[in-house]
Amino acid sequence: MAGFFDRMLTLDRRWIFLFVFLSVAIPIIIPIGLPVTTTGSTRSAFEFIEALQEGDIVWISFDYGPSSAPENDPMAEAIMRQCALKKLRFVVDVLYPLGGLQLANNAIGKIAEEFPKLRYGVDYVNLGYKDGAAAVMRRLGEDIAGAFPTDVNGTPLAQIPMMQGLKSLRQVKLVFTAATGLIGEWWITQVHSQIGIPVIIGPTAVSAPKYYAFLNSGQLVGMLGGMKGAAEYEKLLRGRYPQMAKFYKTTRDFTATKGMDAQTVLHTIILMFILLGNYAYFRQRAKAARA
Amino acid sequence: MNFDFGRVALVLLFAIVPIGGIILGIRAPALRSRIPIMVGFLAGLVPIVSLYVPKNFISGPTGMSPRLDQWLIILAGFALLLGIVNVLQTSIRKITRREAGWPFAVVLLAGLFSTGSFGIHGAISGQGIGFLPDGSPTPFKYMADWFFLPLQSTIFSLLAFFMASAAFRAFRARNTEATILLVAAGLIMAGRVPLLELFALPFPGLQPAAAGASQFLGRTTEWIMDTPNGAAQSGIIIGAALGAASMAIRVILGIERGYLGLGKGE
Amino acid sequence: MPEGAVFDVRRAEPPAYDWQEVATVDPGVGRYVDASVQDGSVYRYEIRVRVAATPAGAETPGAAGTGLEPPTAAAAPAAMGAAVVSDPVASHDNWFRAARANSLVATVLFTVIILSSIAYARSGKNIFIRRIAGLNAVDEAIGRATELGKKVFYIPGSQSMDDIQTVASIAILGHVARATARYGTDLDVPNKDPLTFVSAREAVRSAYLSEGRPDLFREEMVNYVTYDQFAYTAAVSARMVREKPAAIFLIGYFFAESLILAETGQSTGAIQIAGQADPTQLPFFVATCDYTLIGEELYAAGAYLTREPVLLGSMRGQDIAKAILILIGISGIIAVSLGVQGIPEMLLTR
Repeated sequence: MAGFFDRMLTLDRRWIFLFVFLSVAIPIIIPIGLPVTTTGSTRSAFEFIEALQEGDIVWISFDYGPSSAPENDPMAEAIMRQCALKKLRFVVDVLYPLGGLQLANNAIGKIAEEFPKLRYGVDYVNLGYKDGAAAVMRRLGEDIAGAFPTDVNGTPLAQIPMMQGLKSLRQVKLVFTAATGLIGEWWITQVHSQIGIPVIIGPTAVSAPKYYAFLNSGQLVGMLGGMKGAAEYEKLLRGRYPQMAKFYKTTRDFTATKGMDAQTVLHTIILMFILLGNYAYFRQRAKAARA
Repeated sequence: MNFDFGRVALVLLFAIVPIGGIILGIRAPALRSRIPIMVGFLAGLVPIVSLYVPKNFISGPTGMSPRLDQWLIILAGFALLLGIVNVLQTSIRKITRREAGWPFAVVLLAGLFSTGSFGIHGAISGQGIGFLPDGSPTPFKYMADWFFLPLQSTIFSLLAFFMASAAFRAFRARNTEATILLVAAGLIMAGRVPLLELFALPFPGLQPAAAGASQFLGRTTEWIMDTPNGAAQSGIIIGAALGAASMAIRVILGIERGYLGLGKGE
Repeated sequence: MPEGAVFDVRRAEPPAYDWQEVATVDPGVGRYVDASVQDGSVYRYEIRVRVAATPAGAETPGAAGTGLEPPTAAAAPAAMGAAVVSDPVASHDNWFRAARANSLVATVLFTVIILSSIAYARSGKNIFIRRIAGLNAVDEAIGRATELGKKVFYIPGSQSMDDIQTVASIAILGHVARATARYGTDLDVPNKDPLTFVSAREAVRSAYLSEGRPDLFREEMVNYVTYDQFAYTAAVSARMVREKPAAIFLIGYFFAESLILAETGQSTGAIQIAGQADPTQLPFFVATCDYTLIGEELYAAGAYLTREPVLLGSMRGQDIAKAILILIGISGIIAVSLGVQGIPEMLLTR
């Protein structure tokens, strides 16, 4: 046993990698179904959208790529489902190059299948990708058609019923950005600070700590922090709209709730390694002190 | 060609004046280092002025400031060509000299030429880089979907493994600060996930207590994220913003020249 | 205002001057900006109150849950208030955006403070700058690489030259390159962004020239890898594992690749100095690197390493501005606690 703790201090990283792999893979294959508790920042985001009126427009920006899709996809889908349930109209744009548009198209396709009564051009529209994120955001505040002359299919905005009355971002009730990197922050510093439009951000878990400063200062009305935030939102959605449970029940499709099982086991394993490592460290220090 | 004031002013400031300076610089070498500094000054001044002067020629949709943004994107495109030339030079040198790892250079060039060719073919033929009319993917999209995206996800997934090994190594209670770091990290890791419910799974009787304790842990986590973390993040962001503003002023006024490769006194 | 009342904003445009709906605004909102007009065109605006029709049997709000029998309301038709019509107006772009006057004052004040601090420094006054361990370690790291006969890796972040952190990183690269030129140490600068690649190459070339060692400079020292984040990370990580540098600098703006690069560098046994102003990736650098420059320490590097009076002066100016901000913050807290809203209103910028 003493040898085990001595070896802990010089443990080969590959043992840790093996445990990490198993702790993520096994719960994905065999879901546990652990409960999810909600936090204030996610609840504020949910209630803000719940308070919007039928017909209000929500701007949903896909500002992430395939690498953070497991965290951001469930967020974007949950928000779009809520919009569809509340009969809010939504406009989708993509400001992240390298894969963002494909993710947006996939998510919209999924929602369109789940809600067959949604009409493209009337209830929702996909504007596609535009380069130059911050410059596009500034332009959207003045003239949407100047930034996106056509939608993703090449149809001029003037021919899309939903966009005919929508000239600038000022007419939109909320911006939701599912973001990785800087683009999410620009919605706060370039758009909210200049136009005053409410922003909800769905950052990756790594970026989430930074946005608490913006939450506290009132520059954000809510935040879905990483996969945990997405799982919380899924829980809130199921709680308010029980008919949504069917989309989160299947074990084949990945959802944030399912991902939380893996994250829980992984955190447990990492905490155990940290505790064992500290015990071994103190044991060694005590031995050295005695010697 | 329309000659609106903004476009003409931009071409004068960033094309004609620097070219004239270069020609003058042939006679006076000392002037040559002044040209990039002057261009930097003008390029920094235009966006700042556009923040406060809402005139169309400066900050309108076709004004000087948005045009400058577009010019930067075009510049980056040309610089990308330089980068690709460098990649080609490095890889070809590696292959011809049979340096260590030269087969990887072959793979790199194969990927570069094949993907590049598919993309250029898609642009020239009008097929694009998405789906063909029959619904099948173009070769470019096939490469992106089945090579590029999985490889990208694989490298990103390394983060989970490296985070675990970094946490194991770094979170040791060596001193007071390290102990605070360890305790905070442990609380956050435990509070963000239903860890206590996981432990209580084999013991149904303990589950309500586990749920209650988990709620408390969750609230503690939220407090740590909201209060100490929020305060520290705000402090760092504000300090960094001031530092960035100070650095920007130095760059615009030509006081900071290290990024141009100019040293003291140059 | 009756319950459920809203304001309809309508606009009459030339040439027909028919009224068209522009927006519906809730009560309490004091300002609506119509951003869809054309400068020079003359418009008229109309505002009127509209109350939506209520059907019969609608519950009185707030009665539910009180245990009282909610009164059954009669149906009420939609109602319109009298319209208020504006005089003919035409928009034009202004010379000054008055809403940002406070920001302009702050910018000018900040610039004046920086410039006067620079003048103060140029007059020969000694300016104290606190010890920054990461910057002290730069020469130590390069010396270690020289002794071991191994490379120095310098990774200038993943953003382009339009990001001020990258500019600061290239300035530090110049200092590092002068040191490697002086000691004859091999330097490798892999780049993700093409503009950064061009600037980095010029900075290194100038550094070697200024040290009188142009013979030691090789074009392949500063090389371009690829624009994709994780392809770049994979390539640089593989290079670290193969070439086992003695010193690695990770200075600039990093995203998710920060931990992969830093942890790989840690596994090779190199001394690592990292620096980033944005706080997102700092925890990973702190956990894996020997020294980390946090926040504005990155921007102080130029002043710290060169000890140029001009740069030291601007650091002093920055600190004075920070002290003023702290004072304003404290005054604001006291004022708001006493119910005076003036300071937050004064600082708000649109």
